[in-house]
Amino acid sequence: MAKVSIPTPLRQFTGKQDAVSVSGATVGEVLNGLTTQFPDLRKQIFNDEGKLRSFVNVYLNDEDIRYLAKSDTPAADGDTVSLVPSIAGGSAVAPPAGPANAAAELTKDEVLRYSRHLIIPEVGIEGQQKLKAAKVLLVGAGGLGAPLGLYLTAAGIGHIGIVDFDVVDVTNLQRQVIHSTRDVGRKKLDSAAEKMLAINPTLRVTKHETALTSENALDILKDYDLVVDGTDNFPTRYLVNDACVLLGKPNVYGSIFRFEGQATIFAYPGGPCYRCLYSEPPPPGLVPSCAEGGVLGILPGTIGLIQATETVKLILGIGEPLVGRLLLYDALGMRFRELKLRKNPECPMCGEHPTITRLIDYHQFCGVPAQPEAKMNEGEIGATELKEKFDRGDSFVLIDVREPHEYRICNIPGSKLIPLGDLPKRVGEFDPAADIVVHCKSGMRSARACGFLRQAGFQHVRNLVGGILAWSDQVDPSVPKY
Amino acid sequence: MIHIEAEPWAVMAAHAREAYPNECCGAMLGSVEGDAKLVRAALRLENAFEGAQAARYELRPEDLLAADRAAREQKMDLIGIYHSHPDCDAYFSKTDLQNSCPWYSFVVLSIRNGEFHHANSWLPNFDQTEAAKEELTY
Repeated sequence: MAKVSIPTPLRQFTGKQDAVSVSGATVGEVLNGLTTQFPDLRKQIFNDEGKLRSFVNVYLNDEDIRYLAKSDTPAADGDTVSLVPSIAGGSAVAPPAGPANAAAELTKDEVLRYSRHLIIPEVGIEGQQKLKAAKVLLVGAGGLGAPLGLYLTAAGIGHIGIVDFDVVDVTNLQRQVIHSTRDVGRKKLDSAAEKMLAINPTLRVTKHETALTSENALDILKDYDLVVDGTDNFPTRYLVNDACVLLGKPNVYGSIFRFEGQATIFAYPGGPCYRCLYSEPPPPGLVPSCAEGGVLGILPGTIGLIQATETVKLILGIGEPLVGRLLLYDALGMRFRELKLRKNPECPMCGEHPTITRLIDYHQFCGVPAQPEAKMNEGEIGATELKEKFDRGDSFVLIDVREPHEYRICNIPGSKLIPLGDLPKRVGEFDPAADIVVHCKSGMRSARACGFLRQAGFQHVRNLVGGILAWSDQVDPSVPKY
Repeated sequence: MIHIEAEPWAVMAAHAREAYPNECCGAMLGSVEGDAKLVRAALRLENAFEGAQAARYELRPEDLLAADRAAREQKMDLIGIYHSHPDCDAYFSKTDLQNSCPWYSFVVLSIRNGEFHHANSWLPNFDQTEAAKEELTY
């Protein structure tokens, strides 16, 4: 005879007994005997198919029978069989709105704060509660992240996570309006969180002070309802896309360059993903970043707010989401256009037979070294070494492959300006045996120029690592940085 | 309906505050008279969820078994489970529902910015698809 210990709530079915002795050679027989003796107990422990209910664990003395012989575990006299529910939970997933689950209720203050939302029939109390219960992750607290952070906070999103590991630089202030002059040198996360909490002190901000990587992306993204991509580099863009597809979370995408921007929603159920649009990244250096190519300071405001609008619409479940449509914005022409995006059935990520089923090495995929190599390679020269070359009076040519408007901002005395695009037609100006150093702003364009010159038969070509920015840092601080 | 006496209530609220920004969990011991439940003691249990605990908790069945034994020793019953929701309301989430058990009352404490905000008690159904709100006093 084994003793079955009855949990309090079930004693109503056992005539108030807190323990019942039941005969049986195995735990399975004991439980059968118990529920034969007390039929009302059966439904509590077993489902309609006669299997133990998912929340019921059975213990023999102090051991879970799953780790013994399950229901065939022998039960001897004096053994105690216990029914222990498995219990877990957490706020992780907000409940579907419904009468049984009153979602995030609004306080009196919130009703007043969001009154201009509440009187829109499409939003109303229910919509505002959805916004309050929503968890949104911003990848990047830069140009796009700035308007996103401010407006999503003001709109009443309850929980906003931000991934960023950068500090505020004075060159950010032209467009990243969430940061102020006094924040220069501070972590963007701290600066952004402070502004957001000033707008809404009840906001929950989670700061993820890290670069998003293949190792941490799924772990960071999994707790959010949707992800807003405000990154400016291809490795992270593919990473965010792939992680969103794997987790089934919409990716509200935006990108900016000079006077033009794009926005769409990727990884929405049934919709395309970033890889449907661009299965392969462009060759490194072909598409300049904002730091390389510049950006109209207002542009990320426009694009970021399109992303914010789509985010709020998705949460509220209203309107027509920007899925399967790539919105193109041209600030100079002041025109919006739309391209149709189709889900690619052959897409390696979200197609019918995906070949990518986990996160990969995105730096390698995009041909970008994960970290700028510290040691100087052959064919490269550092700023101080270049200075020594000048000081020694070496005979060499310094070619600046930037654009004329950049040259006017600053230049290295003695350099010859030949914009990258003009290099092929002016290559005849130099002796293929000459000692040549090429520079640009940060070293990307000049690296391509070096490759071109070497292919054209030039033997002594070196790239100034870090460009004129490194020159300003290491040699001549009077050269302004931009 | 469920009433939590002052002493266990203080234990639960303090536990939730201390665990912030993570979730805490524990057991409620007391007695049941018909539909009326009285919580006379609260037992802190360890949040055994492996991973970020800001929005998740998990109870070890062994701990629950021990809590049940402790209740019996003190001539009380294990009548409910409590846990906290940091920086969000005391709703019964989908995660809560899918990992619940209809035998107990589930008290959820909402903690905002480290301070107690409000609490609700829930009675999940067998199919783990719905939870009814239970009248809670403390």
